[in-house]
Amino acid sequence: MSMSVAAPRTVGRWRLMPARGTLSLFELVLLAAFVALVAVRLPQNLQDVVVLTFLWAGLALAWNLAGGYAGLISFGHAAFFGIGAYTSTILTAHLGVTPWIGLWIAGLLAAAAGAVVAMICARLRGPFFILSTLAAAEVVRIGALNWVTLTGGPEGLSILPTPSAANMVFASKTAYAVLMLVYLVVVYGVTKVVEGSRYGYYLLAVRDDEDAASAAGVNPLFMRTSAMALSAMLTGIGGTLFAQYFLYLDPTHVISPELSFQLALLPALGGLGTAIGPVLGSVVITPLSELLRSYLGHAAAGLHLAIYGGVLIAVMLHFPGGIAAALDRLATRWRKRAP
Amino acid sequence: MTTVGQLVLSGILIGGIYALMSIGLTLVFGVLRVVNFAHGEFLMVAMYGAWAATRLLGLNPYVAIVAVVPAMFLFGMLVHWLIVGPALAQPHLVVVVATMGLSILMQNVGLMLASADLLDVPPLLGGRSWTIGPFYAKPELVIGFAVAVVCTLGLRWMLQASYLGKAIRATVQDGEAAMLMGIAVPRIFLITFAAGSALVGLAACIMMPLFSVFPTVGLNFVLIAFVIVVLGGMGSIEGALLGGICIGVVQSMSSYYIAPAFGQMFFFILFLLVMIFRPSGLLGQKGTANLGINN
Repeated sequence: MSMSVAAPRTVGRWRLMPARGTLSLFELVLLAAFVALVAVRLPQNLQDVVVLTFLWAGLALAWNLAGGYAGLISFGHAAFFGIGAYTSTILTAHLGVTPWIGLWIAGLLAAAAGAVVAMICARLRGPFFILSTLAAAEVVRIGALNWVTLTGGPEGLSILPTPSAANMVFASKTAYAVLMLVYLVVVYGVTKVVEGSRYGYYLLAVRDDEDAASAAGVNPLFMRTSAMALSAMLTGIGGTLFAQYFLYLDPTHVISPELSFQLALLPALGGLGTAIGPVLGSVVITPLSELLRSYLGHAAAGLHLAIYGGVLIAVMLHFPGGIAAALDRLATRWRKRAP
Repeated sequence: MTTVGQLVLSGILIGGIYALMSIGLTLVFGVLRVVNFAHGEFLMVAMYGAWAATRLLGLNPYVAIVAVVPAMFLFGMLVHWLIVGPALAQPHLVVVVATMGLSILMQNVGLMLASADLLDVPPLLGGRSWTIGPFYAKPELVIGFAVAVVCTLGLRWMLQASYLGKAIRATVQDGEAAMLMGIAVPRIFLITFAAGSALVGLAACIMMPLFSVFPTVGLNFVLIAFVIVVLGGMGSIEGALLGGICIGVVQSMSSYYIAPAFGQMFFFILFLLVMIFRPSGLLGQKGTANLGINN
């Protein structure tokens, strides 16, 4: 957030840099670049990176609704992701429900789980909240691991790989890239609407000073619960999309603590409580870790993640507000220098 | 009846080991008010140290303590100086993400240097158990439990009686007032963090004859340590011992009577129940859980 009094730089009637409640030129250019990435014929492995970057950006945005705007730092979002992935897959396998419908049911179940977690942890703050969400996700993971008749246990579930648009299984990666981009744009849109609305300001008020917000007539329990439910719902839908892309899921991959950490790290790195931050986080980190993995993976196991860990430390210590804040500072400096 | 007694005894003994591994975490939390998410990886590094001292230098794992503990103290100082100290002035999430980054970094450097193989050291007495009346106990567990109790009492005494301990407690109660009284608060933080790390080194040497070490060993143990620390009351030293024993007993009973896989689920559920009904933990200060420590 810049404290400068200079008027925001605009090009025509568009703002240059992202700001609360309006669309900026920066966001439109980024969207155009994303569309171009889908349209251009990239090699398979790069298409894979594009698909994952969009999916992770959407998931990071979903996490940010609770973690960034409502201050609910959750290390348990893998539970909602896993509930989403399993719900649609089980519905398809046992009842023949198409994932196009399954994803809504997945979202609703994840939202219910999110509301329950928010209510259980309603009184907890800081590390206590973080660790409780981690514990709640572990309960879900161990449950999924042992409820073999429903989830297939540790062996997991596979989705029939026959391409069929009705079953949300596609032969081309381009189709998946479109799907993930639509998901990203929808979650981005929800974030923009929330942050510009009265509801969004209530969330920030509860996050920044619960007592003052409550004295002003905002119900903190309702705000926290609804923000967590919304965030969990979008994460659950992302889980369905993930399952449809990989066509395989097991508790270790879709409900692991590592996944929860990843879901929280991307927005933290990009910039909490901003719409553009989580997208930037994913745009920087997902290609970095995917490309490092494919180029260095054989040379040295673990090197790509070691670099990733180092980048996390360096960015957090030098830019506590994340990439979005760094970019904002850069833009402010440039604006001051420009005549 | 003997079965129940045996299960309780085993649970209490293993609980002591769990407590030992958690004391460093609770000490650091109590003083610096930060959760070190790389705690498990500190344990991993120290266990590799204990393994190397045993297998490569031919030391007894308990003798390795004299090398591993000071090394971990220095390692803790280094981490505090480079990462935790600078992050303390920032919003709470910065230290969370930075220690998590450190955890990922250490885990994967471990993977690069040590490969994913499980390493272990030979058990004491060729793996025979001691008999105590009708019960059996592994000597490593009995020694570990004794060390945990001594360590808890010693740390407690140190915090009550020594000058350093008084300075630490003054810092916890009111950092600003402590600074005005001439206590170098940043140095107290540094020493506490390093001491927490040294305690992890001690735990690693005690655990090495009981558990294998591999690069991701930290994750299993750190989740147990989090549960224990919160259960006992974050920042409470005796609480960690009590919490460790509770978790040990719950785990050994539920793995015998229900299923090993569900044992872990039980203590996470126990954890959530404590969070709902007594968020300050068994021996914690009332109200800690909803102090505004997140900003």
